[in-house]
Amino acid sequence: MGLSVKDRGEAVATLRHVHVELMEMLAQWTPSAPEMEVKLLFGEHIWNVAQHADALGKRAHELRLPPQHSLPPVEPYAKLLAQVRAERDTARRLAAFYDALLPGLAKRYRDYLARTDALMDAPTVRILEQMLDIESRMVAQSKTLRSEIPALAKAERAWVDALVEQERRVGNLVATAGS
Amino acid sequence: MHSSSRSAGSGTWSPPPGAEVLAPLDPSLFAPGPERDARFDVKERWVDCANFPDGHPKQVVEFLHRQMNEEIDSLESSARNLCDFPAADWEVRMCLARQCYDEARHSQMFRNLFEKRGGTVGEYPVLNFQYRIITRFANLAARLAIQNRSFEAGGLDAITAGIQQTRADGDEELCALYEAQIADEISHVRFANEWIRKLSQADPRNLLAIGQAMKAASLAFAQVMGREGTEGVSYPADREGRLEAGFTPEEVAFTASLMAEKR
Repeated sequence: MGLSVKDRGEAVATLRHVHVELMEMLAQWTPSAPEMEVKLLFGEHIWNVAQHADALGKRAHELRLPPQHSLPPVEPYAKLLAQVRAERDTARRLAAFYDALLPGLAKRYRDYLARTDALMDAPTVRILEQMLDIESRMVAQSKTLRSEIPALAKAERAWVDALVEQERRVGNLVATAGS
Repeated sequence: MHSSSRSAGSGTWSPPPGAEVLAPLDPSLFAPGPERDARFDVKERWVDCANFPDGHPKQVVEFLHRQMNEEIDSLESSARNLCDFPAADWEVRMCLARQCYDEARHSQMFRNLFEKRGGTVGEYPVLNFQYRIITRFANLAARLAIQNRSFEAGGLDAITAGIQQTRADGDEELCALYEAQIADEISHVRFANEWIRKLSQADPRNLLAIGQAMKAASLAFAQVMGREGTEGVSYPADREGRLEAGFTPEEVAFTASLMAEKR
């Protein structure tokens, strides 16, 4: 059986919460990252994730939740976000955000798209497909920047792999789903 | 862009021999500065920058570099507003997020033109006084009043004058940059005007916070700029731009009369 309206609303509101956190993370890093080119990348991406949070917040209301309603994710994911946000090194920040968090979210969007009814939940499908497109472009931009400035690509591979695995192990992000 | 961006000084960024030794900035008026990479030489006072006189061959290119950095300051200040005020209304947070994007684009626009004209990032000293003045205050209405309603609103007047000057000079590239920039800046001043009114109606204590912050910011700005950075630097008020940006006709008339007196 597919997702109920309640399931959809909770998933969308949880993704909204995550995107507000991503916006705040990039905003916090903007003054404290020394590299000019990184600041400018973050400036554009703050707007991207804010727009995603906004679209999800409007959709949550359509799914019978309050306007711009957010639901905190499960505790392990909340801890992961806090851990990434506390990173001080620019190379690690970039790797954590663009190699672990965004690709992990993309997998979750695809999982949701596979489970929901594409007609009954078409507005959510449209939002997630747009997010997949824009967030993959954000990842590509970060890779281009890191190839142009190699010092930004020096996060330890083992550290990044461990973070990717930590993200993967979280499973369902929706706290009310009991996972 | 605001008045600090205009050149009016000695044409060198080393203090001239026998120059007055200035007292350090009052630390109580400034927050810590933002990070800059090793290419940048960050100064505290206008007089320590490369202030080429009007007509100097390096005047415009230095201005592009200075402006590139000031747009980063605006980006950083808006970003700080997003993370320092997580409980602010979502609508104003969206405006701030958009401002981050706009200021990042402006910085890149100035950089592109600067490099096209032979500049290298870090070639001239920069100031981060905007960020240091704005983020000293822990009140969103006060920050909007300083950053958007003062620095950026003053920028509307300066950019409009810049559009006229570059058009007269035949500098179409810089004129086009200014026209794109001012359209964005009007939006930033407009949302600040709207939200300052809403925040002040919701809690009148915000008006007091704005008044105190404006007084301190004015002192801080005077310390950074000194007489050298402000004397003889004034533009006519951009009445049309200010009205578009949400100032009332009475506010615009008052600003115009003040600026006419200064000129």
